[in-house]
This record gives sequence, structure tokens and C-alpha cells, in this order.
Amino acid sequence: MAQSSPLDIVLKGSSGQSTRGLLRIIILLTIAAAAVASRLFSVIRFESIIHEFDPWFNFRATKYLVQNGFYSFWDWFDDRTWHPLGRVTGGTLYPGLMVTSGVIYHILRFLTIPVDIRNVCVLLAPGFSGLTALAMYLLTCEMSTSPSAGLLAAAFMGIAPGYISRSVAGSYDNEAIAIFLLVFTFFLWIKAVKNGSIMWGALTALFYGYMVSAWGGYVFITNLIPLHVFVLLCMGRYSSRVYISYTTWYALGTLGSMQIPFVGFLPIRNSDHMSALGVFGLIQLVAFAEFVRGFLPGKQFQKLLTAMVLLTFGLGFGGLVLLSVSGIIAPWSGRFYSLWDTGYAKIHIPIIASVSEHQPTAWPAFFFDLNFLIWLFPAGVFMCFQKLKDEHVFVIIYAVLASYFAGVMVRLMLTLTPIVCVAAALALSSILDSFLTMGRPDPEALANAGAEDSKTLRSTSKPVVGIYSFFSKLTVSASVTVYLLLFVSHCTWVTSNAYSSPSVVLASRLPDGSQHIIDDYREAYYWLRQNTPDNAKIMSWWDYGYQIGGMADRPTLVDNNTWNNTHIATVGKAMSSREEVSYPILRQHDVDYVLVVFGGLLGYSGDDLNKFLWMVRIAEGIWPDEVKERDFFTSRGEYRVDDEATPTMRNSLMYKMSYYNYQSLFPAGQAVDRVRGSRVPAESPQLNTLEEAFTSENWIIRIFKVKDLDNFGRDHSNAVSFDKGLKRKRAAKKKGPRVLRTE
Amino acid sequence: MRWCLALLLCGFLAAVNALSSSGSRLLVVLDESTDQSAYSTLWSDLKGRGYDVSFESPKSDKLSLFKHGARAYDHLLILPPKSKGLGPSLTPKNILDFLNKDGNILLALSGRAATSSAISSLLLEVDIQLSNDRSSVVVDHFNYDTVSSAEKHDVLLLQRPGPLRPDVKAFFNGEGVVALPRVAPQTLGSESNLVSPILRAPATAYAYNPKEEMPAPEDIEATGSQLNIVSAMQARNSARFTVLGSVEALEDQWFSASVQAPGGKKTTTVNREFAKQLTAWAFKETGVLKVEKIEHHLATDGEVAPENLNPKIYRIKNETVFNIEVSEYSYDKWVPFEVPGNDELQLEFTMLSPFHRLALKPVGRTETSTIYSTKFTTPDQHGIFSFRINYKRPFFTNIEEKHEVTVRHFAHDEYPRSWDISAGWVWIAGLWSVIGGFLAFVLVWLYSAPATDKLKKTQ
Repeated sequence: MAQSSPLDIVLKGSSGQSTRGLLRIIILLTIAAAAVASRLFSVIRFESIIHEFDPWFNFRATKYLVQNGFYSFWDWFDDRTWHPLGRVTGGTLYPGLMVTSGVIYHILRFLTIPVDIRNVCVLLAPGFSGLTALAMYLLTCEMSTSPSAGLLAAAFMGIAPGYISRSVAGSYDNEAIAIFLLVFTFFLWIKAVKNGSIMWGALTALFYGYMVSAWGGYVFITNLIPLHVFVLLCMGRYSSRVYISYTTWYALGTLGSMQIPFVGFLPIRNSDHMSALGVFGLIQLVAFAEFVRGFLPGKQFQKLLTAMVLLTFGLGFGGLVLLSVSGIIAPWSGRFYSLWDTGYAKIHIPIIASVSEHQPTAWPAFFFDLNFLIWLFPAGVFMCFQKLKDEHVFVIIYAVLASYFAGVMVRLMLTLTPIVCVAAALALSSILDSFLTMGRPDPEALANAGAEDSKTLRSTSKPVVGIYSFFSKLTVSASVTVYLLLFVSHCTWVTSNAYSSPSVVLASRLPDGSQHIIDDYREAYYWLRQNTPDNAKIMSWWDYGYQIGGMADRPTLVDNNTWNNTHIATVGKAMSSREEVSYPILRQHDVDYVLVVFGGLLGYSGDDLNKFLWMVRIAEGIWPDEVKERDFFTSRGEYRVDDEATPTMRNSLMYKMSYYNYQSLFPAGQAVDRVRGSRVPAESPQLNTLEEAFTSENWIIRIFKVKDLDNFGRDHSNAVSFDKGLKRKRAAKKKGPRVLRTE
Repeated sequence: MRWCLALLLCGFLAAVNALSSSGSRLLVVLDESTDQSAYSTLWSDLKGRGYDVSFESPKSDKLSLFKHGARAYDHLLILPPKSKGLGPSLTPKNILDFLNKDGNILLALSGRAATSSAISSLLLEVDIQLSNDRSSVVVDHFNYDTVSSAEKHDVLLLQRPGPLRPDVKAFFNGEGVVALPRVAPQTLGSESNLVSPILRAPATAYAYNPKEEMPAPEDIEATGSQLNIVSAMQARNSARFTVLGSVEALEDQWFSASVQAPGGKKTTTVNREFAKQLTAWAFKETGVLKVEKIEHHLATDGEVAPENLNPKIYRIKNETVFNIEVSEYSYDKWVPFEVPGNDELQLEFTMLSPFHRLALKPVGRTETSTIYSTKFTTPDQHGIFSFRINYKRPFFTNIEEKHEVTVRHFAHDEYPRSWDISAGWVWIAGLWSVIGGFLAFVLVWLYSAPATDKLKKTQ
């Protein structure tokens, strides 16, 4: 470039280097700030509150950790969930999240900043998303020489909705820190492979250990890194760098992951971890073969190699089959199967299928969560093929795997997002680099070159065309700018509209456009907290277990940690059976209150009657003779709640609790269920063994108290009809001999 | 201030003097037409035992069992009304509410007139049935009083009952015969396990309505000892509802009448003693159990420090001791409770179902109570367990205790250390030998530099 712009003074030479460094830091900090800021919608709109379901448990566990210290958290036996089984909580959770926020809390305290643990928890996810953006920068910089790629990737990662969905303020879940750890571990791994350094390998293992302590999704790393190494080996790219980094990572990382009680011996027993072990063995063999190759002539080495490969493969495969059959290696878990066969869960494990985030992804979700990144993504992957260094192989493998998984399960969109950001940044930066900074070739030199062989191609006769022209630069940079602006506005819109609702509080719009908050959940939970004994057992469907534990602080029968399918099925059976069947179950489990969610009045579709079939299915899985899904459908196969509902449906506890006294809100015979859009039977169902204790303002939550046994040993139905003033008939004369009392 | 305290003390003393364990306010419901003086001995006996007896007619407006939502009386004695029902304030619902609030009721029936249908349906609620026509009388041609009912045979002469079962204490036994004129019989339903017979008719008795013909054999519901003369229902809250078939047995004239069974000697009745036993039981002077104290703790040698008593949490496989102190009320004082006969007081350690069911053994006694105790190891299952005692026997008030404790798993530092397990020594040795070998190798490697000089020289 002949002309020098005033910017050149800043951007060139040694002073330019440091200025660019400073600029880059400022840009990164701005990106991090933007990432944090765009996640604060929910705090501004609503309040500093923990969202959804799982975060409530994490919050409760964090409070326990902060109050009781690390060791009692480690040994925590939680007697307020899964009554009466309890839960060995300290040994069945990923403690990384709680420990992280506990440490932050104590540091802030040490710095004499008085901060509430709740605020630490609420703001942890946005804080870590800023770090994720930085880690993303580092990772992408390893992939490309272009300085803009890293910055673009960081910016994408900062505001991509696919990641924001799990990390808005208040979304205090494992993913909040796990995505940062995932990206950073991958960065360290690439560093280790590039340098072949034990230090980077050990750092990878360290952050891998942190990741294991934070999220069950660590299995993704456990399989992706071995796959990367395996592909490298297959491509004949074995090198001591790969050997050193992989063995270091595997040995230290596995030891580290085994320190988490919940993981324990899984890395050497569970099938999900076997690929890492297998590749570890393979790389030893390959290394040995390389070593031997140096000492043996080619032909003998070939024979030895073939024999060795066959032997190891046979032994390894046989051993794996033997161990799997004998049960020493745990069989593949259900979640794993449902990764491969999307229909598996629906048939075999209703409890997994019943979770909405385990459903296959609908295609608009990709655009919704990633916007224009999704079409830059293939371009970026293609560009990786062009260079195809070790780290690009990694990007390709990651991209292929994550795309598949994201298509299978909605929640795995989260693991796809980082690699989409990397690939898209690679593609976009190469476009920008080509059009913005590519110097115009020297016309004279070209003219000289052209003089030598003129009349070859027409394009060479007039070389300064196409991408060198000012017009094309302007067009491309303008359109890219427009796309980027659209991306930012899309991200902001999605964040503010789709992902910032705490789901504990429902927001609706009044006709005049003002916001109306529907706060039934908290109303009911605080009612429980203030009006029931401290150890009153609450039975509800498992979705609400964590919230009851967190907000109402009452023991629950089942919660979102669905570790005991039978116990959940027991609750399902109690909900879907007649009162006569349910009551003994309620008594046996010391249930004091039953909580149901009913959306019929408000048209709130996520209520228990809509989830009811899952309860039935899960209960049917354990008691196929007593609970039958078919009985809840009419003869025409419809799921109805009106006059045509089946007797089984109308006698089920859930139906009775939902519609108990609902008719009294409407003129006679006019009661309408606004969710299912049907007219409710004119007469209220009669409850004998339960009595209504509380119904929230919009009838979303209804709480029923379980009656004690009758004081005079009567049936509850008899006692209720006596209280209503109905005269009891003398037992009608039965046929056959009179049953006499023996004493 | 001082007199105020004195008054309070007096109040307490009065409470101590009151004989029943659950208050002394006794309401007698009887018709105005009934001669109150016919039962004067009973009233004076009751007053002598510390009861605060008041009389009210069932039709009276002032009659109300509750005042400001609380019980206005502790006990209720209902004599059979002449009129059809018991009036507006003694509806079956009110009476059951009275029982729900721990009041006790003694209901006397009479075979002279038909029992009202209100009473019959009330009794039906607690699974006590009257005969179909509600006006039958128990007749026995072998155990009647030859003096007063030589023809009708409807004054029964019976021995006082012994224990109902071997594991039940006898509260109504003793020498002498009780005269029971014109008994309205009751039968107990087979569904409720809260009802029990106090006094059964002899095997030779049958129920019969003197105004009608003998019923056809297939219409007879119960005969002989299936007929009850006195029955009792003790609700789950231990409120007592006693039904006496013959109100006349409480009259002065039968308290010391001289009677003669067929072929027997002339004797005086012991109705007065029986009435005392019956009212004492019905109004909770006898057969009342109280749990004084429950203690559980880890088994240790010597005394247990108070802060280690009744911990909320145990660990699996802990050796645990459970103690319970039980007293029994006997007329005017608390005495140590002895489990009758070959019965046992049992402790259950339960989570969903009992993991242990153990007999509690008496290990000591205080002035007023017996200490029962047992020692066991908590099961190898963590969870929320409860110590449960569920002692329900006829004529004793219920003991239903449930104390929740958490049984946790081993903490991370409670397992035996690796070197304590002899089977692990092989692995420990292997581990340390690898470490030692590695260190030795490193040392050898570091201090055996290759003799580079020599090589160079040779080259």
C-alpha cells in the first residue's frame, strides 16, 4: 500500500504492536461486559431470583455448603428430600458449582464486601459467561492466524442465544460454569497437542477435573479428546506430542475425576468412559510399534505389527464383551441409548422421555439459537479442511459430533454453540481479512508479469479487479456489518423475550400493555412455609420437588434428581389411582400435604393434568396390573376431562384434586377448563381422604391436606357422608352366614 | 399478688384432688320426668370421687356441650330419655364432636322402652348395633333373679367379667353377682377394632321383644354371648364411649338388693362396686396410660450427657438404646405400668416397613412409672426412620408414639483406613514399591552420567 493512513502510526511498528495489544484487551473486556450485561434482563425485569427448577436445588446446596462448611457438605445426607429414603446428596451431586460460588462468597467476605450468597448465585452464570468469551478467544486464536477470528468468536460466544439460554442471571445451573470449563479445557488440550508439553497436558487434566466436578456433560470431553487422538492416529499423524499430551491428560485427568464421589470408579467401569481407556491402550501400542520400528527391518516389522494388531483387538474386544456381560463394566445408561436412538426413551424410559429438554430438537431452534452463525458454520468447517492441522481435525470432529447430538436432544444445543462460534468466526474472519486488509497487488509488478505472457487469460490482463476493487470491499463489509447488527438485535430480542423468564414468576400483559405478574408459585410455597409444621411432608409431581425444597423448605417425596424411578412411580400411582388405593400409599409415606398444579382457570398449559399421562406411564412401568394407560383414554382414544372422561380418569386422585370445587367459580354447568378447552362436569368431584388446604390466587397451585384416620374407625367416605348429615343405613343383609365378631 | 398466687395454688390443688385423669366436670343428661333421686347413691358416689356433677334436661336450652368452641364438660352421662330423641344439642354430630375433643361418654340404655332412632344411628357410627326393633330385652332362663322376675326372667344375675383376653387387664372383675334388669342388648360390628365388650350376656341368653311374637329363626341376629350388656368404644384419640344396656342397674334399689338365682342362695348384689368400676373406667380413672419420657441415644458405657440425648441423626450400624417411661393412672394416682399377662410392649424401627420389631423389657421403675428399654443396631440402610410404639389394647388408652430420626451413611472419614484392612496390604505394598522404584530409578539416572569423556577419547 502506497498511501499511509493516519492509523498506520498507531497500528504499525513496535508501538503499533503494543497499541494493538491494548486495543485487543479493551475489546475483549468490552465483549465480556456485553456478555454479562445482556444476561441481566431477568434481574432488571423481575428481581434477583433463582430461576426454574434445578437451580433451586443448587442454591439450597450452596447455602448448606456456606453454612456448614465443606466437609459436612461432602458428607451431606439430605433428609428433606426423597422422604423417607433420603438422599446421599454429598455423594450424588457435582459439587463444582456450589464450591465455586462458596469460594467466591468467602473471598468477597474476606475482602469485607458484605454480599448475600443468593446474589453470588444469581450472578455467577453471567460472570462466567464473560470468562467463556475470553476462553473462546484463546481457543479460536489457536485455530487461525488471523487476529480478528478470536475476537469475533469471543463476541459470538458472548451473546449467542444458544449459550444465553442456560446462563442468564439466576439460571444457577451446572452449565453456568461448565461451558467455560469445556471451552477452556479444549483450549488447553489444543495447546498441549501443539506443544507436546507435559505442562499443558497437566493443565488440561486439571481443568478437566474441574469440569468433572461441575457437570455430567464432562463425558463429552472424555470421549471427544480420545476421538481426536484416535483420528490423528488413523491419519498417520502419530507424534510424540500427541503421545505426551494424551497420556498426561488421561492419567492425571482420570485420577482427578475419580476424586469426585459421584463419579468414583465410573471412569474404569462405565462404558461411556471406555473409549478413553481404549485409546490410552492403543497409543501405548502405537508408541511401542514406533519404538520397535527403529530396531527392526521393514518386513519383520510388518508381520509383527499385523500379529500385534490382531491379538490386541481380539483380546480387547473379547475382554470388553466378557466384562460387560459379567456386569463389571456398567451397561450403557439410558440417557446414552437415547442419544443414538431418539425413539429409545419413549419406549423404554418414560422418565427420560418426559423431560422436555430431552426431546429431539426442532429445526427452527437452530436458527433461533444461533442465527446467522448456523450458515457460517459449514463454511468454517470447510476452511478447517483446507488447513487440516491437528487442531483443525479437532474442530471438525467436534463439529460433526456436536451437530448430531444437538439434533437428538434440545439441551445439547449448548455443546454445539461453542464450536459453531469457532467455525463461524473462522469463516467470517477470513472473509473480512480477504476484503478489508488484503493489499492491492502492485500494478507495476503485475504489469511486468503480465507482459511476459499476455493473451493467456482475460482476467490477468486487467488484474486489479474483483476483490481488490473498492466497491466489492464496500459491499461485503457493509453486508457483513448488516448481518452482524441483525445478529446482535436478534440475540438481544431472543434473550429478552425467550430466555429471561424465571418461570417461577409468570409474566403476562394486560390489555393496556402493562406487565402483570402471576406469582402463584411463590404464594403457595410461602403459604407452605408459614402454615405447615417444619417437617410436613409434601407430595407433588417431581418437577416441583426442588422448588418446594428451596422455597417452601419442606421435605418432599420426589424431586428433579430422578434417581429412584420406583419412588417416582409410587407417587405416580398415588396420583393416578382411586382414593382407596392412594390413601394407604399416602399414609405409608407420611404425606401431610399434596400439591398439584392446575392451569385450567388461567389457561396455563404446563399443569399437572397435561403431565398426567407421564405419571400414568411411569406408574404403569412398575405396576402394569394396577395402572393402565389405556383406561385413561375414552373408547375413541381421546384424552378427555369433561363428561365423557373415563371412570378411571374421573376417580383418579389427580383429576379430583384438580377440579375439586372448581365448578363453584362458574354459574351452574358452565365450568370451563381453559387449557384443555372443554367443559368440566357440572358436579364437583368428592374428596374423602383429602381436604382442601390452600388454593392460590389464580388456582395454579392447589394444596390438599391428607386427613388422619377416622377417630371412630369408620371409612372416610362414611365419615364424610355423616358430616354432611346423611343418615347411615344399616348394613344391608348379606347373603350367606353372618360374619360374627370373634374375640 | 401473693393472694393471686395462693389462689392459683388452690386451683392446682383442686386439680390434683380431682380424681379422673382428664377433668372432673361431669354432666348428667336426664329427663325432667326421671326421678333424679332414684340414683342418689350413684350421684353421691361420683361426688365423693371428686366429680363436679351437674344435671341438665336434654330439651333444655341451656344445654350445650361446648362453650367458645371448647368442651364445656369433661364427661357426659346420658340416661335414656323418655322422648323420641336427645334434643337439639345432643345430635349425633355433637356427640361425636364431643368425643373428638377428648370428652368421655357413658350412655345408659333401657329395655323398658324402645331406644330412639337417633341413639341407634349414633351407635351405628361407632359400629355398635342395637336390635332391629330397638326394643328387645335380654332374657335368660338360667341366670335370672327369682325374687323380682320370677315370670319374665328379664333381670339377669351375672358374675363380674374377668379379663377379655389373656393380654388384657381386667378392670371389672371381682366377687359377687351383678343384677341387670331389663337389658337392651347390643352387638358389635365386625369391622371396627375400636369396640370391645365389657360384659357379655351368658351363653343361655337371648334377645326377645315382649310385645311381639318370637321372631323366625332366620331373623335372629345374635344370641347368647354375642349379645353385649355393656360395650365400650375407645376412639383413636382414646376418648371413651361406654354403652350400658340397663340403666336400672344404677338405681339405688339395685345397688344393694337381695337377689337369688334359680337354685342358688340369696345374696346381695354388688351393683354399687360394678357401677364404680364402670364409671371409673368410662371417665378415665382407670386404664389410662401415659408416656412420661422417651429417650434414645447411642449405646455408651456409663451416663449419657444431656446433649447426646435424643439425637436427630444416627449413622447406619450404630448401637442404639431406646428407653420409654410409662405410667398408668389408677383411680387417684399414677402408678408404674406393668404389661399384663404374656403381652409385650414393642418398639418398631420403621422406614416404610419395620426394620426391627423388638420387645421392650422393663429395666427399672420410678415412683410412678416403669422404664422399658431395648438396645439394637440401626440397620444397614440410610433413610428417615422412626421409632414407633403402637400399643393399643382394649380398655387401655392408646400409646401411639412416632419419633423421626435420620439414619445417615458413613461419612468419608468413618471408613476404616486402608492399612487397617489386611487384605489391602498387598496393594499398599505394590503402590509404595512403585513409588520407591521410581525414585530409585530417578536417583540412579541422575547420578550415573554416561562416561562421555572416555568415549570422546576413544573417538
